[in-house]
Amino acid sequence: MAQTRLMQDLERQGISRRDFLAFCASMAALLGLPKAAAGAIAQAVETEKRPILVWLEFQDCAGNTESFLRSGHPTVAELLLDTISLNYHETLMVAAGEQAESALEDTVAKHKGEYVALVEGAIPGDIDSGYCTIGGRSALDIAREVCGSAAATVAVGTCATFGGLPAAHPNPTRALSVADAVPGVKNLINMSACPANAENIAALIVYYLTIKRWPPLDQYRRPLFAYGVSIHDGCERRAHFDSGQFVEAWGDEAHRHGYCLYQMGCKGPATSQNCPNVQWNGHTNWPIGCGHPCIGCAEPNFWDVMTPFYQRLPDVEGIDSSKWLDPVGLGLTGVVAAGAVAHGVGEVLRYRRGHRPPADDKTRTQGKEREADASDHEENPK
Amino acid sequence: MNAVPEEDPLRVNLHRVYVWELPVRLAHWLLFFSIVILSATGYYIGNPFFGGGLAMARVREVHLYTSIVFALCVLARVYWAFAGNRYARWSDLIPASRDRLRSLWASLRFYAFLGREPDEYVGHNGLAGLTYAVIFCVYFLMIATGLALYQVYAPVGSPLHAFAFLIPLVDGLQMARLIHHIGMWAILVFAVAHVYFAVLSSTVEHVGIIDSILSGFKYMPRGRRRRI
Repeated sequence: MAQTRLMQDLERQGISRRDFLAFCASMAALLGLPKAAAGAIAQAVETEKRPILVWLEFQDCAGNTESFLRSGHPTVAELLLDTISLNYHETLMVAAGEQAESALEDTVAKHKGEYVALVEGAIPGDIDSGYCTIGGRSALDIAREVCGSAAATVAVGTCATFGGLPAAHPNPTRALSVADAVPGVKNLINMSACPANAENIAALIVYYLTIKRWPPLDQYRRPLFAYGVSIHDGCERRAHFDSGQFVEAWGDEAHRHGYCLYQMGCKGPATSQNCPNVQWNGHTNWPIGCGHPCIGCAEPNFWDVMTPFYQRLPDVEGIDSSKWLDPVGLGLTGVVAAGAVAHGVGEVLRYRRGHRPPADDKTRTQGKEREADASDHEENPK
Repeated sequence: MNAVPEEDPLRVNLHRVYVWELPVRLAHWLLFFSIVILSATGYYIGNPFFGGGLAMARVREVHLYTSIVFALCVLARVYWAFAGNRYARWSDLIPASRDRLRSLWASLRFYAFLGREPDEYVGHNGLAGLTYAVIFCVYFLMIATGLALYQVYAPVGSPLHAFAFLIPLVDGLQMARLIHHIGMWAILVFAVAHVYFAVLSSTVEHVGIIDSILSGFKYMPRGRRRRI
């Protein structure tokens, strides 16, 4: 079989066909496709026309780029960079300044409606204050132009998906997600998590190359193959949860035995991602696997609603509700009970002082004369 | 009525009124038992203080099945607020009419030791009716947050996944969890007050209110010129 250009490129980099097929098989598994799909994926990745990608960075830490490039699975990023045509990426491209910006302009002009825009970072909604401008243009302006003419937009990471850290309270830049910043954006796919898992991004692109459409999405427009199951349901420590075996303090006996981290504020029950299966750094491990609770980084507003990270419940106005909610609730119940007793004492005193004559007795003895007035009381009124 | 012996002055002028129909009483007691079970299991789920066996799994199971009873009771009672007798109706719960507002004010005055006579109503007094309307809103909040929390773990293909739309409304599952937890205490605080006021009514009004939630009948003194 004649080698394709892709295979020649890969072999030059020391990636054998066996490695390539292993990658395709792992992508099939990640997408929940049968084993036979690996062949179709290999064929699609090798022969399909390279999709044109532009990667925009706004209010971000380049963590998603880092995650993508430094994924423990070295073939993932390399394969994708060889498989796709990445026309613009500030961190990766050689060009700089006007040259770089003209590459973006060219792509948007020449390939209108064909390219895929990947966005990393939140977009400041407060454009008057000059937050995040690139080449003299506001992030909002760039995002609306580039994403507005794209065939599809992929929001990579929690900042682009939900606003993330820049949008956390008090959100000084009025940071927005891509969905909010670019109204009417076409084919938006959200790949949340901080950072987004490189293998999920790879799988998304492979899915698009192979099946020629975008995968089914959840209510936050995240692909179901990656965000369809909660961390809690896939967790390797779930059996300890069901058995009521919990870590109570860092480094205690239960922690050393790998018990459930629920009591240490694990947000796995409130978070949906495939971390337990795909893991990180080339299947090396993942947070819960190494004894740290999930912080819920893939969910909306996680800096605001998943904090404190080591408490079960979110704070209320800075008050630790995990610590105070039950004592306050019990206290209030007690106060009401005490109030009831006090009120009861008041009633007894009122009766004894004769402030209120025992009304019932009065009517009960006088009632006979007033019987004619009783017409209001009917038997079985409906 | 004429069969009651004239010489018994305490009974002759009492009028038996059928107030709480069977669905109301049934809903009341099923709500009572489900709230006890849900609070106990819910407290454990929020703060698991013992382990072993399949403690958490079993407690959650009990909580989830009991929540079905609770939710159906709440729905049935709401239906009965439109189908039941005048004492079960929504108009006896929500103080919308002048009469209900007057009763609300009179009850507040009596409980604050400002009024001398308890407000006399065959059904709920104005304050009680309003309190039940509010506590039913809390029940709905509990059902909504409960469904939002449960649907994540509903089996594949379960129609309950449709309730995922509730999650953004309450700002995420963690907020749902917090609201669900606060709601439990709100209901328990209500329960304590509810029992006290029932005992108080029974002591000062002599209409057999405690009995009535079992039998359905209240004993109203005859000859009061009050609208009921």
